[in-house]
Amino acid sequence: MFRFLEISNNSLFIFYLVSNLINLALLIVAIYKNTLHRYRLEGLRLEGIRSSPFTPPISLLVPARNEEMCIVASVRSLLRLDYPQVEVIVVNDASSDRTMEALRDKFALHRSPILYIAEIATAPVVAIYRSFAHPQLLVLDKKSAGCKADAINAGINAASSPYVCVVDADSILEKDSLSRIMAGIISDPDRVVAVGGIVRILNGSIVEGAELKEVRLPRTHIEMLQVIEYLRAFLVGREAWAAFNLLPIISGAFGIFRRDLLLKIGGFRADAVGEDFDLIVRLHRYLHDKGVDYHINFIPDPTCWTEAPSDYSSLARQRARWHKGLLDTLWSTRDMLFRRRYGRVGWIILPYMWLFECLSPLLELLGYTTILLAAVMGVLSQHFFIQFLLFGYAFATLISVGSVLLEEMNYRRYASWREVAWLLIYCLFEHFPYRQFTMVWRLRGIWEYLRGDLSWHQVKRTGASTTAVG
Amino acid sequence: MGSDSSWLRDLGLAWLVARAILFSLLGILLLVAFIVFRRWYRGRYFSRLSQRTVILREQWPDILSGKIPGSAWRLKPLDCQIVEGILLDNIEISEKNQLPPFLACLRNSGLLDLRIREARTSEGWQRRSVLLALGRTRAPEAVPALVEALESSSEETRVAAVRGLGRISLPQAALPLLDLFATDELNVPEHTLKNALLNCCREAPEVLLPYLDRTSGSTRELIARVLGELANSGLGEELLILAADPLPEVRASAARALAKVQPEVSFPVLSTLAVDVEWFVRLRAVIALSSLEHTGKVYVLLRALCDLNRHVRQRAAWTLARMHQGKEDILEKVVATEDNYALQAFLSELERVGSLDAALDGLGNILDRAPGAADVENVAAVVREHFAVPGKNVAVAAAAGKR
Repeated sequence: MFRFLEISNNSLFIFYLVSNLINLALLIVAIYKNTLHRYRLEGLRLEGIRSSPFTPPISLLVPARNEEMCIVASVRSLLRLDYPQVEVIVVNDASSDRTMEALRDKFALHRSPILYIAEIATAPVVAIYRSFAHPQLLVLDKKSAGCKADAINAGINAASSPYVCVVDADSILEKDSLSRIMAGIISDPDRVVAVGGIVRILNGSIVEGAELKEVRLPRTHIEMLQVIEYLRAFLVGREAWAAFNLLPIISGAFGIFRRDLLLKIGGFRADAVGEDFDLIVRLHRYLHDKGVDYHINFIPDPTCWTEAPSDYSSLARQRARWHKGLLDTLWSTRDMLFRRRYGRVGWIILPYMWLFECLSPLLELLGYTTILLAAVMGVLSQHFFIQFLLFGYAFATLISVGSVLLEEMNYRRYASWREVAWLLIYCLFEHFPYRQFTMVWRLRGIWEYLRGDLSWHQVKRTGASTTAVG
Repeated sequence: MGSDSSWLRDLGLAWLVARAILFSLLGILLLVAFIVFRRWYRGRYFSRLSQRTVILREQWPDILSGKIPGSAWRLKPLDCQIVEGILLDNIEISEKNQLPPFLACLRNSGLLDLRIREARTSEGWQRRSVLLALGRTRAPEAVPALVEALESSSEETRVAAVRGLGRISLPQAALPLLDLFATDELNVPEHTLKNALLNCCREAPEVLLPYLDRTSGSTRELIARVLGELANSGLGEELLILAADPLPEVRASAARALAKVQPEVSFPVLSTLAVDVEWFVRLRAVIALSSLEHTGKVYVLLRALCDLNRHVRQRAAWTLARMHQGKEDILEKVVATEDNYALQAFLSELERVGSLDAALDGLGNILDRAPGAADVENVAAVVREHFAVPGKNVAVAAAAGKR
């Protein structure tokens, strides 16, 4: 028993050490990449993209299910985007609230006999509407298949542009975000097949008429911790993985894809729990199978602001669902693991996702248990126990502070000294106790997945967290 | 502290962990210190920048006329940066005839020569920034330095040089780009090159024609695409030749360009291109036809409305629905095509422009006046069937269809 506890504790220490060293390496790569990107931005002339007749058109796909609170504001903001040719396709996925009525009232929709060919099989589209006021706005009213992926697929079918951009209905894109994200594609259109932008937390900011007027930090602890978490995930994780063409996920809230490729892989998998992660892994698989030289990129300055859960139960549901999605996708693509054909995807990113993302809550739980057990049984030195926890905490906090540094160096969305100070202070709480909470929620996700509960738990939207705060 | 260290060493692995903690804490402190220092430094810098900008703005007429010599501001980095920024911003928004005083200031102060020298001698991001700044000067003497950078081994530098040449916006800046591109010696993203050529050849699209003759494949297609954007009526004959090109992309570009040529010259060619084997050539031809004033275009568009490709159909419907000609006439002809997709596309477009009711009312009036008019009755029947609503009056049927 003692021997087991010793081995377990040492293994856990090595696990933490390797995890943190990988994160440190990712931080260093991200700092380098962000700096390069900042230099590139200085030479980039968005006006050139906006005014060029060669800039490809984009179809924005907005899946909406019971988004009555935010759909009108969200569509308004999309219609005002600064991009030469944008088609906005809202897919009402059998909402039971007044989503459809709100759209009909505010955008003067009229039924339009547009030819719709279901190149990707979806639940039936009941009607297609076009707006009198905004001819570039199309609304598909469809029956529900019980998943967001099906709604996006219907949007892909209806899209008429070579690129489609998937945006969450509760999100607000910055005006120049499409020009910025397309800069990543038109710099190498033959290789770049998909690009993700950064998703930031809208809670607490001031929004007027569907436009973000002033960026502010949210007020509650839970929202603040998510701000830090998002900064770390996007500015460090995604930026660094994308540098090696190993981006495992493009957020479902904001990503742009080549439509022809989506059609070839059959669109988003309707029965996937985490459809965004699943799509990217399947894209990697398809392009490797075909031997295509490709790049799936992440660009950190095109920004999408989204409302994050503001209460613990919503956040718990969201995280459990994310983890179920992760497990579901990893399980369905387990045949890609350690296969030469899938190169770095099969040898690096998928094993990383298994070990350090999917199984980490289990390993952490095991670790905490054995350490406590060893401490109780007197096998573990109390000094070592405390040091071990401190080490894990301090190293992980270093990465979080690093992500605030990246934000501060390159993007500076939080302008005041006070806000930066708050960001730094909340870095201290991301790894204790917030991480332990997320561990529990993720364990719940694993449990639900193993029980076969793959249902989509709706996250409560207040629609009011975007108002001014003092 | 010494006793602490020995205590830690006794712990073996714990000593390693303790050191890791110390390094992590040190790292956190350094990062926080860096953030704080950087914010303070930037605040100070921008404050100084703002103060100096106000002062230099007040002196602007004298700086521009040379009363304040260049040496007074060029040797001070902050002042030089501010003046250069103001000059380049002014140049960017100036018409050609407004440029001379700004260019004179750049030349007389020696700033232009300084930047040209930097473009040749500096490396990395500094060189790229200088290349872009040189492009913004719109000075012809900057072209050679920019062209030299096209041969750089770094793609980023080549891209900066192409962007710089594009910003110069002079035909002589396009020639070296075209020379290198035509001989496959220029490796930059297509979009950047197209935009640069677009800017440089805007005033003289004819400079592209010799390169079209001596290139092939994708190179030729790219040049044709730029030409398609810039072509004017002066290029009529050349465009007619390009319309018969074996490369579909070139034919599509010719179709696009023909929209700017006199209808009597372009219409017959566009009618042929509207039945091209490639759908995007047909689409371009239909788009070009939409801006052409020619009585015969209705028949070409009706044929395009029955096209197998939905984009071509939609565009033809778009044009037909916006024509001044009587909508009921066109509706009648659309029904006569017996193509349901065509009818659907046209009705949809009529609805979008708000003309559906008017067109159906027109048909209804004809029916009222001449109840036996078989053709019109047929149209009404088809529209009724299309909206799947029984009834005598087509207007009623249309209204029902909108629900």
